[in-house]
Amino acid sequence: MTTTTGRPGGADSGRIEITGLTKTFGQFVAVDGLTFGVEPGRITGFLGPNGAGKTTTLRMLLGLVRPTSGTATIGGRPYADLPRPLESVGAALEATNFHPGRSGRDHLRVLAAAGGIPDRRVDELLELTGIPAAARKRAGGYSMGMRQRLGLAAALVGDPQVLVLDEPANGLDPEGIRWLRGFLKHLASEGKTILVSSHLLQEVAQTVDDVVIIANGRLVQAGPMEELEGTPGSLVQTSDAAALAGALRVADVTSSVQEDGSLVADTGDMRLVGDVALRAGLPIYGLRPQRADLETLYFSLTEGTNRNLGDGAAPVGAPTEGDAVTGQEGANL
Amino acid sequence: MIPAVRSEFRKFFTTRLWWGMAIAIFVAGAAFAALFGFLLTSETARSGEAGVPTGDATQVASSVYTGGLSIGYLLLLTIGVLQIGSEYRHKTISGTFLATPRRLRAMLAKVVALLGIGAVYGLVSLVGSVSVGAVVLGLRDQDAFPSGTIVRTLALSLLVLGLWALIGLGIGILIPNQVAALLIGVGVAWIVEPLIGFAMSFWEFGREHVAQFLPTSATNAIVNAVSNGPDEVRLEWWGGALVLAAYAAVLAGIGIWRTTRADIA
Repeated sequence: MTTTTGRPGGADSGRIEITGLTKTFGQFVAVDGLTFGVEPGRITGFLGPNGAGKTTTLRMLLGLVRPTSGTATIGGRPYADLPRPLESVGAALEATNFHPGRSGRDHLRVLAAAGGIPDRRVDELLELTGIPAAARKRAGGYSMGMRQRLGLAAALVGDPQVLVLDEPANGLDPEGIRWLRGFLKHLASEGKTILVSSHLLQEVAQTVDDVVIIANGRLVQAGPMEELEGTPGSLVQTSDAAALAGALRVADVTSSVQEDGSLVADTGDMRLVGDVALRAGLPIYGLRPQRADLETLYFSLTEGTNRNLGDGAAPVGAPTEGDAVTGQEGANL
Repeated sequence: MIPAVRSEFRKFFTTRLWWGMAIAIFVAGAAFAALFGFLLTSETARSGEAGVPTGDATQVASSVYTGGLSIGYLLLLTIGVLQIGSEYRHKTISGTFLATPRRLRAMLAKVVALLGIGAVYGLVSLVGSVSVGAVVLGLRDQDAFPSGTIVRTLALSLLVLGLWALIGLGIGILIPNQVAALLIGVGVAWIVEPLIGFAMSFWEFGREHVAQFLPTSATNAIVNAVSNGPDEVRLEWWGGALVLAAYAAVLAGIGIWRTTRADIA
């Protein structure tokens, strides 16, 4: 396990533990007995359709919303019991949490003052997030990308061990998303715990180490990303798929013949597939790795569970389900 | 607690609101001092007729120096509403409670900051009113500083502004829509309350036992302003201070209690 934190307080100081977390608003069960853990030094994607309960869960973790039952702790403590919260946990919740008449830099200075953090840290962060000049203008005129960067800077004010980011890629352009991806990986390599929510699996697939998928407030799947992706396969085009399947079986590799005459071998070792085909005297016209289709998998896990659809409650600017399916060419986090 | 208070001061002084308010409060102080300085020393005022504002030299001077408060406390009421209302409106309240998750501490920091802001604006108002007012009183051959009571009045006017800011804080929490909170707060203080006071004057029990406990009447009692007529029943200055503090404590207290329990979504 990669739980080296390099900080006093031990490896447990950055572990997030959600246990039986439940929140009801009247009759509506927003979060329903959720249990999962988030490990230090790893990026964990917190996924689910809009309205699945992600934001409510994160707000309970941060002590902003009171759980109906269950607990959410960071390093074994509820958020409100952290002695210096900004130096333990950094959170970027929504890209709109700024007073339009206050400059981005002053927004950070307000936070720094509340956390007892020196002002020079504010200017360091503006450099780090690439917005030192723009941050002196009033926040009312900021683009979505600027707001996201400022939100990230605000989360990092106390140089926290744990980062909680709610949809940080929303509104970023491809260049911004690439920057964010590198930035998060850098932070994770420092041993930080990073929990990042998204309603699109493909958006975070390249970045996250672990995934927690929820739907209707319930846990659907939690584990390492590789586990979700399943066994890697190899797609082979050859002249006689059945013959190659037989040859592979001898080499202890299962495979299945596809309708179009190609063969999917249940191994990611393409060299092995090629060698077997050569020994069997079968030509190879094409050989490429085949991974599980994450998009299909994600929708099969969360399908038909978007309880917000139809009541017009989806946030403005959020991609709809249709966009998600067709948006394959879009920039991925 | 001290970091949270510093943060509240920064919130206030990093938007343009503060200097606009400072100019308004200075001008109001100076203008009302000039206006009252001439009106209260006019022949009519000295005649002592019924319905004409009257008072001794100390009350006249107090009224001149604190005349701008009638505008000033509305501005501080507004500041109090905005100090919490803009946090709801722009959702910065999440950040505030993330930095200070002990919400009672975060809200008490607002109380301390608003009392401080009230005192600062009180000083700004007094700089305008005392400089102009003393000159006008001098021109009318009146004693500009007839007694030591004046000093008490001036000091208490700083407290008055802070307490009105706390009333605003309470209103700003109890009415989460910022615009509605402002309209209702200012409307009640400036229109509804005087109307109630006027109505009370026709009802003996109300005139003698209720009217003096209205917030504006209590404010006038604290700063020892001239009375509007011989019938007016008025609290002692400390009684007025206690009444206004009670309003501030109840409104801000209920608001803070609600805030410490609410879900921030």
